[in-house]
Amino acid sequence: MTVSILIVDDEPDVATLFRQQFRREAREGAYVLHFALSAAEALERLAGEIEPRLIVILSDINMPGMDGLSLLREIKKRRPDLPVMMLTAYGDEERRRRANEYGAADFVTKPVDFDFLKERLRQLHAPST
Amino acid sequence: MPSVSIRARLIFLSVLLLAILALSSALLIRELASVSKSLAEEATLVSVVKNANSASKHFGDLKYWVMDAAVTQLAPSERAADAAKAGLDSDLKAISAVDPALVAAIGDEVYAMTDLARQAGVAYSSDDSASGNALLEQAKSHVLTIDGEIDRIVDRVEQQAVARRDASMRGAELAVKLAIVGGVGALLLALGLTALTVRSITAPLKRLEGSIASITQGDLDAPVPTTGGHEMAAMAKTLGMLRDSLIERGRLERERERAQAEIRAARDAAEAALHELKAAQANLIQAEKMASLGQLTAGIAHEIKNPLNFINNFASLSTGLLDELKSVVAPAVGSLDRHQRGQLDEVSELLSGNLERIAEHGKRADNIVKSMLAHSRGGGGDRQNVDLNALVEESLNLAYHGARAQDSNFNITLDRQYGVDILPVELVPQDITRVFLNLFGNGFYAATERRRSANDGTFTPVLTVTTRDLGETVEVRVRDNGAGIPDDIRDKLFQPFFTTKPTGVGTGLGLSISYEIVTKQHGGTIGIASEVGRYTEFVVTLPHRFSAKGAAETSAAGGGR
Repeated sequence: MTVSILIVDDEPDVATLFRQQFRREAREGAYVLHFALSAAEALERLAGEIEPRLIVILSDINMPGMDGLSLLREIKKRRPDLPVMMLTAYGDEERRRRANEYGAADFVTKPVDFDFLKERLRQLHAPST
Repeated sequence: MPSVSIRARLIFLSVLLLAILALSSALLIRELASVSKSLAEEATLVSVVKNANSASKHFGDLKYWVMDAAVTQLAPSERAADAAKAGLDSDLKAISAVDPALVAAIGDEVYAMTDLARQAGVAYSSDDSASGNALLEQAKSHVLTIDGEIDRIVDRVEQQAVARRDASMRGAELAVKLAIVGGVGALLLALGLTALTVRSITAPLKRLEGSIASITQGDLDAPVPTTGGHEMAAMAKTLGMLRDSLIERGRLERERERAQAEIRAARDAAEAALHELKAAQANLIQAEKMASLGQLTAGIAHEIKNPLNFINNFASLSTGLLDELKSVVAPAVGSLDRHQRGQLDEVSELLSGNLERIAEHGKRADNIVKSMLAHSRGGGGDRQNVDLNALVEESLNLAYHGARAQDSNFNITLDRQYGVDILPVELVPQDITRVFLNLFGNGFYAATERRRSANDGTFTPVLTVTTRDLGETVEVRVRDNGAGIPDDIRDKLFQPFFTTKPTGVGTGLGLSISYEIVTKQHGGTIGIASEVGRYTEFVVTLPHRFSAKGAAETSAAGGGR
């Protein structure tokens, strides 16, 4: 069963990177990748319908405008059950602590270890199927 | 006469001396007058004596000529008799003052004698010789009387003259004695008075002089005499004022010196404070520079981190894609000729080699960026009370074995000078370990580099580590006997990216991170002493307890581990 993943990052190349990394999974029909270049766009996409079912949001923290942690709080207000994984280049204690406090499902430091990420996604996907 | 002025004293003395002179002169004059008076009287008596003797002679002549004339009746005899009579009368008159009654009696006797002789002459002329003889006899009896009386008067006059002369001599002798006594007395009196007066002037003068001498020699406690005449009192007063002014001047001088000393002390203190201020300012500037460089470094790291992540991600992705490409084209490779296959293999080899290099250098860059990010990390570790020597020893062993692992030829003499009784230090062990690892690594590098450049095997690299408890702080000295650090680069040592090591060996971040950890995170200091060609020594001091600033940073960093 195909599910959706929403990736929020202000870097457009993140989309390229993820599409290449998830090329095989996409081909196999496991995931559909959605991208938003800002927190505002992500909330907008979340307000509409995302097909197929959205199982996780991956969000950068450092972004212009609303940052990833604020976005996390907004998402948790609207969709408390939706897992949100934070991706950041800066794995400092303060950000990690706040991410935990706001209910992030995971805290992944860049450069992203895609094997690890894919494993985490499988775990998130498994219980819901 | 202490209160009488010197002028008055001298006038008084002069008056007294003049009075003594006048008195003694008057005495002498009086004596001289009495002597001259008795001399005059004596002279009178002498002439009286002469007249008396002359009277005696004239009477001799007279009695002769009277008798002769009476007998001879000759005129010349009568004239001679008259002349003698005139002389006698004159003499008698001259001496009549001696004894007027006697002289009058003599006159009467002379008259009677001459009268009898004249009567005898008359008798003789009348040839009455008998009567003449009788009359002459009578006259001769008168003559005897007169002779006796004249002798008597001459004796008396002579006696008087002798008595007068004796009296005169006695008076003269007395006058001489009086003059001597009076003169000597007056002289002594004058000398005494003069001496008294002079003493009354010189004694206080001498005292005053003594005071002046003492004061001019600097003894300001010398007493100023208060006795003496007006002039003395005035001089003493002036001297007293001089002394007071000298004392005042001395006091002012001392006050001035004290004030100068105070000014000097204040100036020294101010200079010291200025010096400290300058040092503090330099430290502040350095800290500020370090902080801004640290921020800049962290900022740069943040900016570079994302593109670097892409590079690394795409590099590893491309490696996978290349493998995929190979497997995709594998069935088709068989249809290619040998040459094309060779080209394909070569290109794919080059590509995977390049991707490996990209991944390798990306990883290197990532390490640098991670070090740079340590600048803004703000100390996430827990602070613990740590045994400093144990921490240093652990770091030293770690550094030593790390160096040996990298280079099996590595060797260095370690000289541990650990202080005893060092109280525990509150610090973040992993961060301070990082500082020590860095310092030890630098020391190893410097010392062994020197051996390498000496290249004769005689140089022995030594790293000396000294720990000491300074009370409020602890001190760790890391000293190597390497080539030393020239002055001109000493300031740059703690700047990020400054390195003297060849490219790829050092990031230039070790000391700047150590600086941040020691100064910002722990409130300590890190300094350097070096002599080119001899040694380099890093001195780290850490407070036993965290300062308020350090504690604040800890809570701000919010170390939720």
